[in-house]
Amino acid sequence: MKHFLLPAVARPLRHLTRLAGSFILLLSPFFLFSQNTATVNGTLRDAQNGETLIGATVEAIGLGKGNVSNEYGFFSFSLPEGQDSVTLRFSYIGYESAFRKIKPVGTIRLNVSLRPESAVIEEVVIKANALEEKMKSTEMSVTTIGTREAKALPALLGEVDLIKILQLKPGITAGSEGTTGIFVRGGGADQNLIVLDEAIVYNPNHLFGFFSTFNSDAVKDLKAYKGGFPAQYGGRLSSVIDVRMKEGNNQKFSGAGGLGLISSRLTLEGPIQRDKSSFIVSGRRTYADIITRAVNKANEDNPDFNQIPDYYFYDLNTKVNFTLSEKDRLFLSGYFGRDVFKFKDASFNFLFDWGNTTGTARWNHVFGPRLFSNTTFTFSDYRYRIRNILQGFSFRLGSNVKDANTKVDFYYQPNNQHTVRFGANVTYHDFIVARLKAGSDDGQVNFESGQNFDGLEYGLYANDEWAVTDRLKLSYGLRVSAWQNNPAFYANLEPRLAANFAVTDRWAVKGSYSRMSQYVHLLASSGLSLPTDIWYPSTRGIKPELSDQIAIGTSYLLNDNLLITWEAWYKWLRNQVDFIDGAELFGNNDLENELTVGRGFAYSPLELEIEKKEGRLTGWIGYTLAWVRRGRFPDINNGNFFPPRFDTRHNLSIVGLWAINKRWQITATWVYTSGYTAWLPSGRFTFQDIPGAPLQPLVPVYGDRNTYRYPAYMRADLGVVWKWWTRRMENDLTLSFYNATDRRNPYFIFIDFESVTTPIGDAPTRIFANQVSLFPILPSLTWNFKF
Amino acid sequence: MKIRILKNIFPFAVLLLIAACNLSKEVEIELPDYESQPVVECYLEPGKPFRLLLTRSFGFFDPFGLDSNFFQNVLIQGAVVTISYNSQTDTLYNTFSFDPSPLKLFNYTGQNIVPATVGVEYTLNIVLPDNGGTITGRTPMLPLVPIDSNVVEFLPPADTIARILTYVTDDPNSENYYRRIINYYSLDSVPEQDFIASDRFLTTPVLAFGTGYTLGEGDTVYNTVCHITRDYYNFIESVQLAIFGNINPFAQPSPIKSNVTGTANPLGIFTCLVYDRDTTVIVK
Repeated sequence: MKHFLLPAVARPLRHLTRLAGSFILLLSPFFLFSQNTATVNGTLRDAQNGETLIGATVEAIGLGKGNVSNEYGFFSFSLPEGQDSVTLRFSYIGYESAFRKIKPVGTIRLNVSLRPESAVIEEVVIKANALEEKMKSTEMSVTTIGTREAKALPALLGEVDLIKILQLKPGITAGSEGTTGIFVRGGGADQNLIVLDEAIVYNPNHLFGFFSTFNSDAVKDLKAYKGGFPAQYGGRLSSVIDVRMKEGNNQKFSGAGGLGLISSRLTLEGPIQRDKSSFIVSGRRTYADIITRAVNKANEDNPDFNQIPDYYFYDLNTKVNFTLSEKDRLFLSGYFGRDVFKFKDASFNFLFDWGNTTGTARWNHVFGPRLFSNTTFTFSDYRYRIRNILQGFSFRLGSNVKDANTKVDFYYQPNNQHTVRFGANVTYHDFIVARLKAGSDDGQVNFESGQNFDGLEYGLYANDEWAVTDRLKLSYGLRVSAWQNNPAFYANLEPRLAANFAVTDRWAVKGSYSRMSQYVHLLASSGLSLPTDIWYPSTRGIKPELSDQIAIGTSYLLNDNLLITWEAWYKWLRNQVDFIDGAELFGNNDLENELTVGRGFAYSPLELEIEKKEGRLTGWIGYTLAWVRRGRFPDINNGNFFPPRFDTRHNLSIVGLWAINKRWQITATWVYTSGYTAWLPSGRFTFQDIPGAPLQPLVPVYGDRNTYRYPAYMRADLGVVWKWWTRRMENDLTLSFYNATDRRNPYFIFIDFESVTTPIGDAPTRIFANQVSLFPILPSLTWNFKF
Repeated sequence: MKIRILKNIFPFAVLLLIAACNLSKEVEIELPDYESQPVVECYLEPGKPFRLLLTRSFGFFDPFGLDSNFFQNVLIQGAVVTISYNSQTDTLYNTFSFDPSPLKLFNYTGQNIVPATVGVEYTLNIVLPDNGGTITGRTPMLPLVPIDSNVVEFLPPADTIARILTYVTDDPNSENYYRRIINYYSLDSVPEQDFIASDRFLTTPVLAFGTGYTLGEGDTVYNTVCHITRDYYNFIESVQLAIFGNINPFAQPSPIKSNVTGTANPLGIFTCLVYDRDTTVIVK
């Protein structure tokens, strides 16, 4: 951090300190302990591997008291004293419930482990009604994906991808075929806060977005907020995608892995000291380059053969955790992933690599039965690098964004009516934007360009979940965020509000409002995700992006096992950043001249989800009817509003998992998306050009943006999972058919022509449109194992 | 410097897949209505007559009609075209002229020769027939930036293939833009390289353009370095992006950035054409 920042931060820190004082005053009533109550607290874990269970339910039978474990597995609630005994039920979806009898006096600490249900699918007695909890919660617009269901679903080339499964949820679109782009409720691809163990992942893609960076063997689960954001989250406008890594088995050494069509995976985990500490190491690598290298080698004496470039990607996840005492736990985790594309021959040496590095150090501390804290230090780094060396000349281009973040979160439960969360964070951002160096080795010719920035981002929040009555729950909070990039300073108040009214035991009505601000912006030159897209900070000229979202909805629980959720929402977007037409991203020391700022909005009267989580047949149906617009950019589309590429009117997805018996499972997904928009030319002209340059018979003239809409996208995927057990291992073979009906979905359309040669050049005789599809039916077979 | 290499990499994976699976098919699509616009191409080349090509644009799927009416359909005839400079106004008459090799046609030609005086500002005025509106444009005459040297290097140790490096001296006191075209064998051939560059991030007074090791002994190379205006740079860039945006799903298309304006809502470029061209025969 540069020293000049110190005096510069003083002023904003004074403001923040005052606001912090206000927060404490606001929260002070909750710090008063209730009398004559017993407090039950503890941590819920998986009995087989010691993993903490997030969102598990604790309930005092017959008393209507209880709580849900937080993201660290911690729970706390109060019971009235005076009874001889109370039976507590601990339950979690996919696990057998556990029961404990207690005498409610004083503070009772209970660390409970739940056993996973056996693989045999039984007639299910509803043990853990996650759907009921979801219905009752003030949280709305939230979805959770577990790796267990993700691994069973059919996947492109057999690569299990949590992000692609998230795209099947209502309110979320992919933006393009086969990619891991996430466009949530009309937000852009950069408006998602994607965190892995609380560290930001700036580019969650491999292979130009066809695969995500999250290795399903290393991930515990993924929780996505589309709206109604709790106050602890900030920094992005449209969603929070919180990915948690597994902690490692603290009971026994075990492993898991898989052999797929394009990659293999291996995960090892085990106790360092049983019950006290554990580790997990997980890796994945593609191997197409091994084949292409062999092909290149076989053809090295063939002068007509063009070498195939090498391409591969890999990920490495590691985590260790230590139980330091009954009240303290320490977690250290990291991720490192790279995509590598390279080519080398006698005169050409080209390398293009990109990837993320993240690190997290987290300390959980239980101050007492009602107060829990989480202190985290995270580090994130995303960079790309392009290098080419050409006999005496070289070319290097790269960008880099680095974060160091410190945050502290408190979880305080003064009584059963209030659950208070409060905390603060400071993040230091460091940007290297499109740094270019090119020239001759002798120094005779040299080009250099690029910009460096840094910035400090602050967040301070408090949120209270208040059970006003048995039927009415409120969640209200405030986040104060600020950004400093000398000399620019911005601060924003971000109120958050959510309410849940239980009309009956099965029917709840919900509503939420949230404001979000975003201080870093992704400058993407196209609607698709490219590794060279540039992260750029807010500056004096580029203000923070802001969004306001309101949502209303209702949930109805049918037969204890089917949750029907309807939501309607409207989102306003301000200070949206885009490139001017024909902008120069690279070799530019003043990118702000290439940017333009506008507005946007999106709305949906109907976002519907029907979920079934228990039984032999599980899955969901999601449907969204939505409109998205961007506009008021002075330099784009004459300032008029236009639909962005990811504006799709109808999105329908049906996902089903059918467990036939212990060994066999059939899975299927069906997706319908009304067409994406495209910017196609409306006119053409012939360009003669100057001597030495040929006549261009057909130069497209582009008019208003995105006036063309592709045909609808439809895809059915099928999967069959066969499990078997050997003495030491659990195995499964997963056969997937991506695009099982072999439908030709449009990926892009370009205009082509046939021509005749004339003395002044080629003259077109016929112009026609060509539709390009990416994937035919793609079968894949993956072997997964666990030991 | 404009970096084209990236644009060649991104579509690579996609095109590889498409080629492997043969997943392209012709479809019928409907494009928005389009109103034809006049298109101006006027390059003021010192030592050559004032000449201008005035055509019109079409809706994208409009038929080309390569029949006897082709020129009548494409060319805009009957306009009043004048170019003013140094308090002098020359009229370009609606007569055809052409350069024979490579063939370039013009439908408006003046009687005077374009002077080579650096710094002179030229103004174009066009009045289209039948109240079709007006077109105006301005451009300065830039100084020539000569090619300092062309250096041929053979790739060791075999010394069978060669590249050519072209050096020019850049004026560090002004922002300069260049268009570099390199043709093998003849000026009629499709260029091996055709790109635009700026000196904004050049930290040395020397600018180098190079080819890959793609030349053999006896090959002839036509090396052209044009010193161009920012307007022309923007125009060429937008033309390239428009063409590229049509065929590359990763590229963002661009509207055409013309430097001619007026009530006729024109497209096109009005610029001086100042270039140095060397011809090199590759020898060891």
